[in-house]
Amino acid sequence: MADEPLIRAQRIAAGKGAASVFEALSFDIAPGSFTALVGPNGAGKTSLFETLLGLVPLRAGELTVMGERPRRARRYVAYVPQASKLLHDDALIGREFVSAAYHAHRWGMPLPFGRSHQSQAVDEALETVEARDLARRRLSTLSGGQRQRLLIAQALVNDPSLILLDEPLSQLDPAARDRVVSVADVLTRRGIAVIFSTHDVNPVLRVCDQVLYLAGGRGRAGRVDEIICDRTLSELYGTPMRVISEEGRRFVFEGSKRRLQAVGQ
Amino acid sequence: MTVPEFLRYDFMQNAFLATTIIAVMGSLVGYFVVLRRQAFGSHALSNIGFAGAAGASLIGAEPMVGLLVFVLGAALLMAWSGRNVSERDVSVGMILMFSLGLGALFINLYSANANAAIGILFGSVFGIDASQIRWITITSLVVLAGLVAIFRPLRFASLNPDAARARGIPVSLIDTLFLLLLGAASAIAVPVIGALLSFAIFIGPASAAQAWSGRIGVGLALTVLLSLGESWGGLVISYYANLPASSCIAGLSFGLYALSRLTRHGVSTSTSH
Repeated sequence: MADEPLIRAQRIAAGKGAASVFEALSFDIAPGSFTALVGPNGAGKTSLFETLLGLVPLRAGELTVMGERPRRARRYVAYVPQASKLLHDDALIGREFVSAAYHAHRWGMPLPFGRSHQSQAVDEALETVEARDLARRRLSTLSGGQRQRLLIAQALVNDPSLILLDEPLSQLDPAARDRVVSVADVLTRRGIAVIFSTHDVNPVLRVCDQVLYLAGGRGRAGRVDEIICDRTLSELYGTPMRVISEEGRRFVFEGSKRRLQAVGQ
Repeated sequence: MTVPEFLRYDFMQNAFLATTIIAVMGSLVGYFVVLRRQAFGSHALSNIGFAGAAGASLIGAEPMVGLLVFVLGAALLMAWSGRNVSERDVSVGMILMFSLGLGALFINLYSANANAAIGILFGSVFGIDASQIRWITITSLVVLAGLVAIFRPLRFASLNPDAARARGIPVSLIDTLFLLLLGAASAIAVPVIGALLSFAIFIGPASAAQAWSGRIGVGLALTVLLSLGESWGGLVISYYANLPASSCIAGLSFGLYALSRLTRHGVSTSTSH
């Protein structure tokens, strides 16, 4: 059981429209591992999340999440949308926002004697993302990075085994990015698997166990060196690609035109 | 303790009873309306009720039934018309426009009673009778029970719909149920406070409460207190100053809102880290 992967995807294809967004995609996610989900805009990163959540049906292949079909595994999985996409009301304080997720799938109102459990779960979640100081602040006074950490705390209150972070670094400055990456890294040390989608792999290079790269309707998973290299990326994009490493960072160029490609920006 | 002079009349007792029930129920629903930023939808639903009531009068039916049918129908249309709030603005406006056109037509055909139209638009709290009180009480209890039943998923879906959907919460269903509750709430509030002035109960107190507290529990309690305060205050002022009750309640509601904007704290914007 210990060697059993949390997610096993074998030659899966999925998509909402007439054509699949990706095909023949295979990968495993180990419990407590950090996976960087990388690819240009439109490569299917969000569609893959929706597939893992059972919101988009599988067209081919086999996919299990904790040994079950994706829809049945939802209670173990938390999805964290981009902070900038939220329509939340800014008047609430951080703590209220985080506790709103607690047992939210149940009907009815929380009863007074259930509060201590909730309060403990919320405290722990805020502690984990280093956001105790944000508990009493209104959302409208918070920066993008602080909101992103509260969103992660909200995902934690139902004790998930897997967290899907959808472009958590978008629109953040470098300092806030580092902080969000560190928080995501802390989650893996608590045994929570993290899939972290980003169009730039560099901010997560120091923490990720594997890279899942989507491009051109295809995808490959493996160690950073196996994936972010000339050969694999050329196969994925279907055109000659070059990877240049500089001071521990990787820059991807489209080989034929000598032009900086969309991996960085 | 003696009964105050203004409570010695039946019509005043009925007015107090009706506004009290609607102040409590309407403001609690209104808290979620403000949280979900559906104020325009709320305003539209109340006004759509006007067309329903006018249409029912025209065919000789109970205006309350016409109100309910139109408002609940419009709530369903709104729920199906678009997923996100910004998309919905235009469709809500179009449904509202069409309903008001129908309302104008019904009033024109039923020219015998223009006063009834004024009553629906601006409310006639001193004309509430015992049978209406019964309607108001039953509907309010149903709305409140519905709100309690969907409280947890509604709260999460209002704040983070994408995460709620991922968790398996039926977000569209919750959305539709909430609009139906709001529709029912509007339908019973309209004859009392008026279609045009329902903002005074649904939006004013909730918006002030959210300016003064960032907690949902405290906010809900504050909303009810503010709503009761403005409703009772409005009725008493109306009685002694001989002014329309709806105008007094609307004035107090606006005063509350203005005060809350001036005194809210911790809502300044910062962009650091």
